[in-house]
Amino acid sequence: MWGIDVAVWFRYGCSSGEHDYPLWYHRKWVGAVAEVLKCLKRFRRLGCRVMSFVALLGSLFSGSVAGSEAIQRLSAEPGSISLNGTNRSQQLLITGFDALDRPIDVTHRATIESADSEIARVEGTVVRGLSDGETQLTVSCDGVTIPIPVSVRSIAGYPPVDFANDVVPLLSKLGCNSGGCHGKSAHASGLKLSVFGFDPTADYDVLVKDGRGRRIFPGSPEFSLFIRKAAGLMPHGGGRRLVPDSPDYDLMLAWIRQGTPPAQPHAPVLVRLSVSPAERVLRQNTTQQILATAHYSDGSQRDVTSAAGYASNAPAVADVDRSGLVRTSTIPGEAAIAVHYMGQVASVQLQLPRTSDYEPFEFPAKNEIDDLVRVKLEKMQLVPSALCDDPTFLRRVWLDTIGTLPTSDEVREFLADPRSDKRSLWIDQALDRAEYADYWALTWADILLVDRQKLGERGAYEFHQWLRQQFATNRGYDQWVSELITATGNSGTNGPVNLFRAAETPEDLAKTMSQAFLGVRMECAQCHHHPFEKWSQDDFYGFAGYFNGLERKPIATNRVFVYHTGLKEARIPLSNRIVPVRPLDGPTVTAVDADPRRELAQWMVSKENPWFARLAANRIWKHYLGRGLVEAEDDLRSTNPATNEELLKLLTTRLVTDNFDMKSLMRFIMNSRTYQLSSETNDSNRDDEQNFSHHYVRRMSAEVLLDAISQVTGEPEPFPGRPRGTRAIELWDNRLPSYFLEIFGRPERTSPCECGRTSEPTMSQALHLMNAPEVESRLASPGGRIAALVKSGATTAVIIDELSLVALGRMPSPSEQELGRELFAQAPPRQAAEDFLWTLLNSYDFLFIR
Amino acid sequence: MQRRYCDGIERRGFLKMGSVAGLSMAQLLRLQQTHGIDATASKNDVSCIFIFIIGGMAHQDMWDVKPEAPAEIRGDFHPIETRVPGIQVSNLLPRIAGVTDKLAILRSMTHGDPDHTAGYHVMMTGQHPGVGGNFNRNVLNNNMHPSFGSMVAKMGSSSGRLPPYISVPNFLNSGGPSFLGPSYAPFVIEADPASPEFSVRDIVLAEGVTNDRSLRRQSALRAINHLERSVEQFSKQERALDTYYEKAYQLMTSNEAKQAFEIERETPATRDAYGMTSLGQCCLLARRLVESGCRFVSIENGHWDTHRKNSESLRDLLVPPLDQGVSALLNDLEERGRLDSTLVVLTTEFGRTPRINDMAGRDHWPQAFSIVMAGGGLKRGLTIGATDKQAASVIDRPITPSDMAATLLKALGIDPDVTLHTPIGRPVQLAGGGRPVHELFA
Repeated sequence: MWGIDVAVWFRYGCSSGEHDYPLWYHRKWVGAVAEVLKCLKRFRRLGCRVMSFVALLGSLFSGSVAGSEAIQRLSAEPGSISLNGTNRSQQLLITGFDALDRPIDVTHRATIESADSEIARVEGTVVRGLSDGETQLTVSCDGVTIPIPVSVRSIAGYPPVDFANDVVPLLSKLGCNSGGCHGKSAHASGLKLSVFGFDPTADYDVLVKDGRGRRIFPGSPEFSLFIRKAAGLMPHGGGRRLVPDSPDYDLMLAWIRQGTPPAQPHAPVLVRLSVSPAERVLRQNTTQQILATAHYSDGSQRDVTSAAGYASNAPAVADVDRSGLVRTSTIPGEAAIAVHYMGQVASVQLQLPRTSDYEPFEFPAKNEIDDLVRVKLEKMQLVPSALCDDPTFLRRVWLDTIGTLPTSDEVREFLADPRSDKRSLWIDQALDRAEYADYWALTWADILLVDRQKLGERGAYEFHQWLRQQFATNRGYDQWVSELITATGNSGTNGPVNLFRAAETPEDLAKTMSQAFLGVRMECAQCHHHPFEKWSQDDFYGFAGYFNGLERKPIATNRVFVYHTGLKEARIPLSNRIVPVRPLDGPTVTAVDADPRRELAQWMVSKENPWFARLAANRIWKHYLGRGLVEAEDDLRSTNPATNEELLKLLTTRLVTDNFDMKSLMRFIMNSRTYQLSSETNDSNRDDEQNFSHHYVRRMSAEVLLDAISQVTGEPEPFPGRPRGTRAIELWDNRLPSYFLEIFGRPERTSPCECGRTSEPTMSQALHLMNAPEVESRLASPGGRIAALVKSGATTAVIIDELSLVALGRMPSPSEQELGRELFAQAPPRQAAEDFLWTLLNSYDFLFIR
Repeated sequence: MQRRYCDGIERRGFLKMGSVAGLSMAQLLRLQQTHGIDATASKNDVSCIFIFIIGGMAHQDMWDVKPEAPAEIRGDFHPIETRVPGIQVSNLLPRIAGVTDKLAILRSMTHGDPDHTAGYHVMMTGQHPGVGGNFNRNVLNNNMHPSFGSMVAKMGSSSGRLPPYISVPNFLNSGGPSFLGPSYAPFVIEADPASPEFSVRDIVLAEGVTNDRSLRRQSALRAINHLERSVEQFSKQERALDTYYEKAYQLMTSNEAKQAFEIERETPATRDAYGMTSLGQCCLLARRLVESGCRFVSIENGHWDTHRKNSESLRDLLVPPLDQGVSALLNDLEERGRLDSTLVVLTTEFGRTPRINDMAGRDHWPQAFSIVMAGGGLKRGLTIGATDKQAASVIDRPITPSDMAATLLKALGIDPDVTLHTPIGRPVQLAGGGRPVHELFA
């Protein structure tokens, strides 16, 4: 449901992880096949994970068994293996190349044998050093064979075990310090570790010193409470995490035998994580092993494939398990696998094109957007839908740009417009409408927390009015954000200062600003190092430091004077450490007496800022196309790449070179063929949700839908205390009582994103649209559209046409006309017209933007 | 470790299934809708009637009377013997005294936040909202953690045609779905069943729409949505709305379902037994709803914030409807053989101060207070935990809101330790790591 499914935690959860048998495995026949394969597989001494059979079996069924594309040559990573006391085993990555020299992962299919199993033993797809010496592995697949030299050195004893480099990663690997277990802020048992091991010093004290020292038993390391619990030899809520006599178990014991040394100050520091492959085109129903390697400051490397965490940003396309094995599904698309290990991150980009024969298609570009989209469609072998028809186009442009349905006259006029460039001209017309400011102020009021409950009437009103003014004048995005970030003054007269009331603490402001304007989600880093990004607490509090010293002096009820008293120290709570105030990834603040927010604003809106324009471009793209190039739209990070990076770069550059003119970018987007594609899909692009091969259908948002019902019925929604005819998209008060807006997903504006606004369906919505007296009375209103139409003496056909034009923005199809005539045959005209419009208002062609 | 749901199918498992069986995505999605979300209810499903006393229920004047305490603490009421020897309640609860064999009094609830909003949130969700610092701060509609009802709607099986989670007579402020999303929000009956004009919004045809006319409309609607495209061509969003239209239509057209809301079908004698009060009639309506397949009914009852004239308010206004309504509910459920499959929870934000203040009121007291749990297969006729001589602090067996959450979920057949993920991916245990009160389970 949420784009970025952080599967990492899931996999590192607390309950003892048994084998996850897929459902079909329990079915008898499949089970039997799997059993046979299992025996065969054992015979071939290949791995033992049941999951790899899914892929094998899946590929059998899809008729593209890997074996049918025989491997011509092989390559192995690493090409030669050195094992030693600190890097005792190595995951292998074996890649075969078919006749077209396309890479195929055969790690779990190849046969791997060691020339001397006394020196190095092959365990599945991992080789483990046992005694010093030189030997060789022989890898073969489809008759192709390659050697891998193996050198094992000083393996007998453990070199000094380093708490930070060796023990803490193991606690992470075993899941001990995960959020669901001992990493939880208030763990039921006494053992409280730092989540994901971000604080080795504290963890050391917990394990070695706290609990009256009973967790470690130096005299007899095997009987340490800590080891016995983890190994499941004593009752342990988390079950058995550590298998006795396994290498991990031995490492823990070695650490205790060495006298539980703390982290060494001069130990090599982890500097980088590398992954292989970095990108790969994969077929459906196949697997890909990922190899993760940690690099240290002394130049040494370690295989951390089994200890790293993995998360896919599109599990429906490609999912990954905790051993770094990716499994692809049948859905074409792209996925990025985020790999993280001890605060370092890397990502693997995967593409799954459709596998059918290539179908050439026409996609004449209307502008540069289309060229980049076409490249992607060709790569993914998706055939785009046709251009949408004129009525669909007009309705889409109107609803997306001004949150308003076109009137029947507008539809007629547009359809009759003979100019060949009429679509462009009408796009300009939409952008010039007054409703533009209402609609975009509404959208941004969601992101910027314009909540009447929090800000009071005056604050919410002023803030909303100010926002509306920015859009009404189409002020540069950088300009108004800059004013907003540095706002000073009376909250009752100067709208933007209310942002500093909506988010009050430096921490809340850091989260709000970074998410709303940079698409960087910092909130994890408030309490611990971000689990799969580079952000640390230093980054968080350094950024929050800009808002230390903000004062809010009460001047009247619900009114404050907001000002900054100058740069203050930033401290991390608990550790009480001072961190330099600085922007994300930026230099330390230099100004000491002026309002430091000015420097922040300069950095924030500068053309060089890697996030600012990119986020705005991605937001606008998502608004018009229904899906961000990065999804979620405000989660920009290296491990969550865009599905079309070149396109996002184009949009970003365009916004910057146009001096942050948002309308100009909207115009550019709407003029593309891509935006104007039909939502009708074909066999090739039906499942596509990433490449914009067709238009993605969305439901109208709460306010837009309510206004649409008012417009269609000709009877405006009454809002308490507002003049008749007030539209929902104009409301500044997000708490104005309205059952309709509530059930259709008006957001509460408590988080700085568009995520609070939802179009999730509920039963209450369906019931309300079908039965609510509020809707029915407007259909039947004596002052409404139907009453006027019927009174005018219009024929059945005219009434049917007019109601369709008003509600659906198009003429009715012949079968819809037929449906209408049937209704008119069964009831008097007024009633029949109401029934017909009722039907239209509940139809998906009305509720959705196509 | 993917969670297996009660139908035995992992959600993710559908993808795997599809890849093997060769189903199209569309077929798969439909299968998911019919099979996944609405798993068929098992025979042993336990439903919940969750009564929330808004304002803070004075534990020492009702459930945990301290006759030995000095007058300014003990208050105006005295303990009375009940049906279960050894269990005493206050003389404000004569009818409850007759049903103590059906319930358990938890006298050692504690959470420590004297703020209404936070107390409300923590007692409705099991988790402290964790934000703000001011007294009575704005903790908006449950943005922090899903309410129990939403958890049940998400995790529990639903049966029949009623929504799985219904609130009456209004939306409970901390009763929302939080990050679970609006599909798990309560269906809110914004009407008081004690009112003669009581009716439920939107489930019956609007005035002027006859059955015939509705049939014409419905058949036109079905036709129009399928005239131009087949279900395969529907977008995911349309398909999702389609299911809810289907559910809504079933509710509208199912007499059985609609009748569940028609409290006037009860005999006057039954209605009188519950008392013609908001709380009494809400209890009766809740019984009808759970009998028709609703899994979780939340009831709110207000005006219990007795900072002034505590004794008077309790005696004259607040407690008698509760005494009558709740005891009638337990008796009725028992007579109908449904007490074991219906968990009744009577809860509140916190208790009230030991010492009576100078306005004859009692203030907020989250350090120690009482709640009641009954039915749902839990042990009956017992008290759990104890407070000191002034009912001021817990001296035996502290029970946290998370423990209450775990108890409630366990009784409803839901694993309290299931981990869900917030939109930013933070793992959250359903019951916040609480342990079920084991004394209540046989």
